[in-house]
Amino acid sequence: MRATLTVNGRLIGVVIEPDDRLLDVLRDRLGLLGTKQACGRGECGACTVLVGGRPVMSCLVLAARVDHVETIEGLRDEARGLREAFADAGAFQCGFCTPGQIVRGVALLRDGLPADDQALRREISGNICRCTGYSGIVRALRLAEHDRPGSRR
Amino acid sequence: MTLGRPTRSIEWDARTSGASRYVADVVLPGTLVARVLRSPHPHARILSIDVQATGRMPGVAAVLTAADLPDRLYKHEGGRLSDRRPLARDVVRFVGEEVAVVAAETVAQAAAALGVIRVRYQPLPAVTTVAAALANGAARLHDRASGANVSLVIDRAYGDVEAGRRAAAVTATGRYRFGRQAHACMEPNGTLARWDPRTSRLELWTSTQSPYFVREEVARILGLDLGQVIVREVAVGGGFGSKSKITDHEVLAGALAVRTGRPVRLVLSREEEFATTKCRHDFDVELTTGMNGDGQLTHREARILVDNGAYNHSGASVTGAAVAAVASWYRTRGGVHVRATLVDTNKHPGGQFRGYGHPQIAFAIESQMDELADARGLDPIDFRILNAHRPGDVTQAGWRLHSAQLVECLEAVRDAIGWREKRARRGSGRGVGAAVAMHVSGARTYEDANRAEATIDVRADGEVRVRFGGADPGTGQKTVIAQVAAEELGVALSRITVVTMDSDETPFDLGSWSSRGTVMSAHAVGTAARSAARRLRELAADKLGVPVEHVSLRDGHAVAGDLRIAIEDLVTGLGGELSVTEAAVVDTELVNFATGVADISPAYAFAAHAVEVEVDRATGEVHVLDVVAAHDCGAAINPTAVESQIVGGVVMGLGAALGEQLLYEAGRLVNPAYLHYALPRAADVPPIRTMLLGHPDPHSPYGVKGVGEISMVPVAPAVANAVAHAVGVRIRELPITPDKVLGALRARDGRRRRYHVWRRPGRWWIGSMRWAYPRGVHALLNRWGTRPASAAPPTPIASLERPTAVAEAVDALGRDREAAPVGGGTDLLPLIEQGLGRPRTLVDLGGVAELARIRETDAGDLQVGVGVTLADLARWPRVDPVLRRVVTSIASPQIREMATVGGNLCQAKRCWFYRNGFPCYKRSGATAPCYAVLGDNRYYHAVLGAHRCQAVTPSDLATALVALDATIQIAGRAGERVLPVARLYSGPGETTLRAGEIVTRVVVPAAARHRVSAFEKIRLWEGDFAVVSACASLDIADGVVRDARVVLGAVAPTPYRARAVERHLLRRRLDPDTIAAAAEAWVGAAHPLAGNEWKVDAACGLLQRCLDACRVSHGA
Repeated sequence: MRATLTVNGRLIGVVIEPDDRLLDVLRDRLGLLGTKQACGRGECGACTVLVGGRPVMSCLVLAARVDHVETIEGLRDEARGLREAFADAGAFQCGFCTPGQIVRGVALLRDGLPADDQALRREISGNICRCTGYSGIVRALRLAEHDRPGSRR
Repeated sequence: MTLGRPTRSIEWDARTSGASRYVADVVLPGTLVARVLRSPHPHARILSIDVQATGRMPGVAAVLTAADLPDRLYKHEGGRLSDRRPLARDVVRFVGEEVAVVAAETVAQAAAALGVIRVRYQPLPAVTTVAAALANGAARLHDRASGANVSLVIDRAYGDVEAGRRAAAVTATGRYRFGRQAHACMEPNGTLARWDPRTSRLELWTSTQSPYFVREEVARILGLDLGQVIVREVAVGGGFGSKSKITDHEVLAGALAVRTGRPVRLVLSREEEFATTKCRHDFDVELTTGMNGDGQLTHREARILVDNGAYNHSGASVTGAAVAAVASWYRTRGGVHVRATLVDTNKHPGGQFRGYGHPQIAFAIESQMDELADARGLDPIDFRILNAHRPGDVTQAGWRLHSAQLVECLEAVRDAIGWREKRARRGSGRGVGAAVAMHVSGARTYEDANRAEATIDVRADGEVRVRFGGADPGTGQKTVIAQVAAEELGVALSRITVVTMDSDETPFDLGSWSSRGTVMSAHAVGTAARSAARRLRELAADKLGVPVEHVSLRDGHAVAGDLRIAIEDLVTGLGGELSVTEAAVVDTELVNFATGVADISPAYAFAAHAVEVEVDRATGEVHVLDVVAAHDCGAAINPTAVESQIVGGVVMGLGAALGEQLLYEAGRLVNPAYLHYALPRAADVPPIRTMLLGHPDPHSPYGVKGVGEISMVPVAPAVANAVAHAVGVRIRELPITPDKVLGALRARDGRRRRYHVWRRPGRWWIGSMRWAYPRGVHALLNRWGTRPASAAPPTPIASLERPTAVAEAVDALGRDREAAPVGGGTDLLPLIEQGLGRPRTLVDLGGVAELARIRETDAGDLQVGVGVTLADLARWPRVDPVLRRVVTSIASPQIREMATVGGNLCQAKRCWFYRNGFPCYKRSGATAPCYAVLGDNRYYHAVLGAHRCQAVTPSDLATALVALDATIQIAGRAGERVLPVARLYSGPGETTLRAGEIVTRVVVPAAARHRVSAFEKIRLWEGDFAVVSACASLDIADGVVRDARVVLGAVAPTPYRARAVERHLLRRRLDPDTIAAAAEAWVGAAHPLAGNEWKVDAACGLLQRCLDACRVSHGA
């Protein structure tokens, strides 16, 4: 069936089957390779994208049910501060989980980070990282929080 | 300049914007997808393989079996140790071994083709544990010279052990077990291969730490010249050893590419990653350590059993490394004797894994150090300092310690953790523990391992390029390389381009393993860059007419006094490019397999870690409060990267210490999924404090020592030592999960529960079946009563209906027997993939607006539509705090944004046998066994009320809603009905919904909402399903309980209403004594399995915590 969805702000028409996963449509149909598959079962967060502004596991989302999606490619500019913070804080090593971490981080920053660090860690516990041990990611989010226009200082 | 300063990875922009290209991201037109057919048996003869039917399958381009490949073995460690083929020929030796491989146009077509390959196996007796493999008359996997199922024995004595024994005033002896873990890298193993028939060259884009070995093995096995196999550069998503040297897919992808003439991509699924790839070697260590009257170590004796798995891979080398480490740990005055046996078992092989035998032996040695210190009342850190190596020492294994700051590391962590003050609080439930490690910085286990080359290109267009043959799987080599080149050439870091891995473009290097990455790459690049710098200075001297000694390189220019010339302008005369290649060698000895004594590394790193834990004596949970990691890693070229490596290694160590384990049932992996594997998530670990102490090592280039592996090594014993300090029990088998802690406490305190099954006729049948299972019933049902799992892939979903009203939805479901409702899809889609559902039509409830409503009635009831997502429920302004608490403990933020209330309540059981394809009673029918009776049932199975199935209802919401007297509304063709939530369940994750019915709304009555409620949950990792959960909802007036609901989750097939507990609370004051007694009142109904009796104690402890929370809440 033919569907239209808004991907990173652009309205796109694409042919999809009822059981096409959003992850596969993004990667294989639209060439947006930044979103990664690490488990394919919604257990690790590497495939995180924003659907309707909410972070979801794109490997478990049926593309036919999606109207509006933002991927790591589309968030490149909005996430600039966060991305630089990732670089400064040693928040990535192999980089495979990083797109998912960044996308999830953007959603968190839009909502405002929890004040408590343990609460913040719970908010990113859906994104497994095997390389960094998470300290750098938490630090990066805090750095980015302070750099956001209009953020609490 | 950047050396020694925190520096951003030169790839930061690509890594953080999704622009890095990993194997799955490389796009070549016409690429085929490959899938592997794997053995379902742990040990079997292959009688025949019939691939004929694949010829008729759509989209299939090629099928290969062993007969299609040259009859060659992987070299791995060479010689007699080579024992494995890329595809099994005649015999399979582990569940998951590669038998055939298919290339097709699409994933679905490849999977379908696998389904029609007919393999006839003759199962052979299998030995899936070391004990079974060494038993008399055990089936043999290979023809080994060292004995039946013994691949290798290393029996070494260093120094004078007998003198050591005589000098010992105290000895400690113990047995320590360190099981298998998975690397679980985020990027699965994979290769994209392309064969060019015109040039006869095979290109490989492969996720590897060491292109050199991939190239060598692929060429050898496929009968190509080395020059015909070209590895290309890709981003590599993690290694930790799993991608160190050849793995199991590169040859297969290459062979298919040659056969089909088209690019072929073979990427492993996550399940294959867990179940079939190399893993940590399981070590069983019997250790004795002696100490003299002055506290000095006198001797060490170790008997080690290493579980090889079915093939050698790196088993011999890991064993050898471990032996050398046992001999090297601490100054040991007398001697060390180690006997290590590498034992074949019918499981997927062990392989290279961060630490390489050291984590396993460190767990034994460092645990025993504390036991020894304890025997004499010595402070564990003082004891270690006394015996620590000093600079200038040579270890028993011949390691020359040019620098050694272990003492400084120990002193640093002692201060940082607050050791003195905290050690005084022994037995309080909070404890501190410490441990040390030492590690090579690249071991010379191959002739050329001490050599690496690098090429520097300075181009007229301004580009300065470094070319290096190793790979960077996240360890940061590319940035180190750029930093070193920038430093030596006097250019800005931003001007440097780094090319790695590519066989055409880069010179010799063996790759990133053994913590050699920075040492070797910095050395090689530094050497080449200095050589290029010298050449540039010569060219400048010539051009500027000055002596070369007056020329320096700065800011991209050659400078002599007031004269300067851009370096790119110096090379125009050279055809536009200056290209310099140099080889660099570090001064080390080649490993000596005969004696085990050789100075194999240019420098040896040291580390000390201290950990503070809090142990909950009621539930066995261990919480890590603080970790300090002090490292002597020499100079740090990029402190950002070094600290990140340390923290990552510590967290991986915490995972091994507290949760990670690969569990097997008759050789088959039970838990091949992140969901069932307790590696740490962000909320499971505290911030890790790192201290880099090292001064530059005088013997190592740039003064650098390795850090990639050592950071993992001390963690597990530090945790075990802290637990012992906190509660006085010593756990000697990893991981330290709550069952072990409670079991140890119970054994020490002599507590035993009795369940009096003989007095409960309703449990006699179950009791006798459980008795009979290990006595033949399980074997019988398993052999004769199971149907093999269907090999056919899931049927595609034909249509997605999108009703906008409940009536429409019910209608759609009623019309089509093969229709299923879908909420968030977070359970349905995995179920389909797991072969547990084959709907042809999905009825999407997401568009039914009335199902997504939350409201409070005027009476104060809470009405929640089943389509409300968990996240929306938690965010609703007037949601009850207890419901928010339950919801935010579920899964992950992303899943909560998708999953619905209805979906959570109706989700299927999560038993790992059921989900991961074991042909159990619930999957395979009434003649099949329940694997949880004899299999690993410690965490997720019932302790009460189970019959043939031991699983539990996984929904945490169900537990709480039952306690809150919630009802659920159901709509169907026949109309609407209402049930108490408790009556929604007929069995574990099984509902009483009739065909065509859907749940529509949950209602929590106002009366319940006015009660004081609390929810508590024990889980192995943040977001995990409950191991035990408890929800108490009490009506308390003036401290007296007027009404009570107490529900336990994850202890019974359905949420368990603990009425005995409720009765005990009624009309009593809610004080600690009442709570303690009430929490035990339900125990008489329990009937635990062999492995989960501890959950009865844990549930009592959790109930206490929950009731106490109510008490505090009420008081507040």
